[in-house]
Amino acid sequence: MSTPVIEVEGLNLKYGDFHAVKDLSFEVRPGELYALLGTNGAGKTSTLETVEGHREATSGTVRVLGHSPRDRAAVRSRMGIMLQESGFSPDLTAGESVRLIGRLTRRTDDPGRVLDVVGLTRRAGTKVSQLSGGEKRRLDFATAVYGTPELIFLDEPTTGLDIQSRDALWESVDRLRENGSTIVLTTHYLEEAQQRADRIGLMHEGVLRREGTVGELTRTLPSHIRFAAVPGSLPLAVTEDGPAFVVETFDLQKDLYVLLGWAQDHGVELRDLSAGPTRLDDVFRAINA
Amino acid sequence: MLAIARSELIQIFRNRLVLVTSLIMPVAVSAFFIYRHEGFATLGSLGYIAAVIMFTVGAFGLYTTAVTTLASRRQNLFLKRLRSTAAGDSGILAGLLLPVTGIALLQITAILTVFGVVSGRPGNIALLAVAVVATMAMMVGLALATAGVTNSPEHAQVTTLPVSLGVIAVASWVGISGTEELTLLKRLLPGGAATELVVGTWNGTGASVVLLAPTLAWVVVAVALAARLFRWEPRR
Repeated sequence: MSTPVIEVEGLNLKYGDFHAVKDLSFEVRPGELYALLGTNGAGKTSTLETVEGHREATSGTVRVLGHSPRDRAAVRSRMGIMLQESGFSPDLTAGESVRLIGRLTRRTDDPGRVLDVVGLTRRAGTKVSQLSGGEKRRLDFATAVYGTPELIFLDEPTTGLDIQSRDALWESVDRLRENGSTIVLTTHYLEEAQQRADRIGLMHEGVLRREGTVGELTRTLPSHIRFAAVPGSLPLAVTEDGPAFVVETFDLQKDLYVLLGWAQDHGVELRDLSAGPTRLDDVFRAINA
Repeated sequence: MLAIARSELIQIFRNRLVLVTSLIMPVAVSAFFIYRHEGFATLGSLGYIAAVIMFTVGAFGLYTTAVTTLASRRQNLFLKRLRSTAAGDSGILAGLLLPVTGIALLQITAILTVFGVVSGRPGNIALLAVAVVATMAMMVGLALATAGVTNSPEHAQVTTLPVSLGVIAVASWVGISGTEELTLLKRLLPGGAATELVVGTWNGTGASVVLLAPTLAWVVVAVALAARLFRWEPRR
């Protein structure tokens, strides 16, 4: 197997008495989209900032592209960072900001092209102070993908974006991945991670609680069959959830067949019927419980 | 570094508040001193006026502007953004401070040239120039240290007062009363030896290169303080 792009081993981060990240180990492989998810205060931003090289680990080792992330000269020209909060100077225009930050990455690209990718061509001459929150987010993305780096960090990339911008951003990410870029993502929109991540790390209270593909994570919890409550003795164990009945099952196909057969035989109409695998949301709720 | 310096220059000229405090205010004060130079010369000497001009530009044009700029760039996370690139820390700071330092040196050169034309050539221009450069280095170092204890551009209005008023007070004290008495104290205070050097070189009454030592020592102290105090990200 090829060498990982990111290797984190036994990472600990402490702020005074607060132990923000505890014994965290994970790796991200080349070309992968790895989503680091977690509840608020789970330690994912601290982890990300350490991997990016903004923060020093209290203990443990972090290697990024084969180097220490603190060795900026060695790693930064090969990685693009979209910070959670933009940090652009309000007095510079969008175009000037991309030119400046782009140049400092030491990669080569055309600022006009990058602005075009995020749909800000017409705003190139506008001062950052006059851009909307979503436009600033897109500007941030533009600087991160300047020169198509090997490794891109996206910290809450779609927060504050409308649907069109969000779709456009993911389309750009897809193109970057076709070019072989590795992506590390954090997001509050779990469906984005569910749809796009190759692997997911779930953090809770500073610890990596679960890791795997979406399938691997959701398979650990039962699937659900849900329908409006009906009278009569059902062939399956149900729990009541308000006006609905819920069946939890690890064998969705068989139990759904049993339920539908029973309804057919007894002439019962199952209103609001839905059935599906566990969603990432449920995995999340389960680690919180 | 030059890319950062260029963008910083653009920002200075787009931000009227910075432009007024860093460019216009010191020029106005200096113009007043030059206009009334005969009166101030009887109080101290022509060299005293040169020293006050240097410290007015150094304290307000350079020091206060540098602290305000650094605090503001940190507060809006621009420093963190710059640190997300391949640029090194010293390159970032040099780029951020180069324009204000350059402007301050240009201002002092221009104003002292005008003053020289009006009141007569200074006695030792070469050593005067060295004294000005050393003093500006001290002000830049103090600015970096002060920026470490300054949370916001507004806060800078308070945190910069001790140093900016302090060096002007020292310059006036030393410039008017000389260094015959309390020599050691006056020379060791920040700006004291620099004032004595500027007064001596301007008046042509003789000044020793050794007087550079306390100013350079203050540069070292300020940089050491800055290394301990300077922060790149706002406190959460």
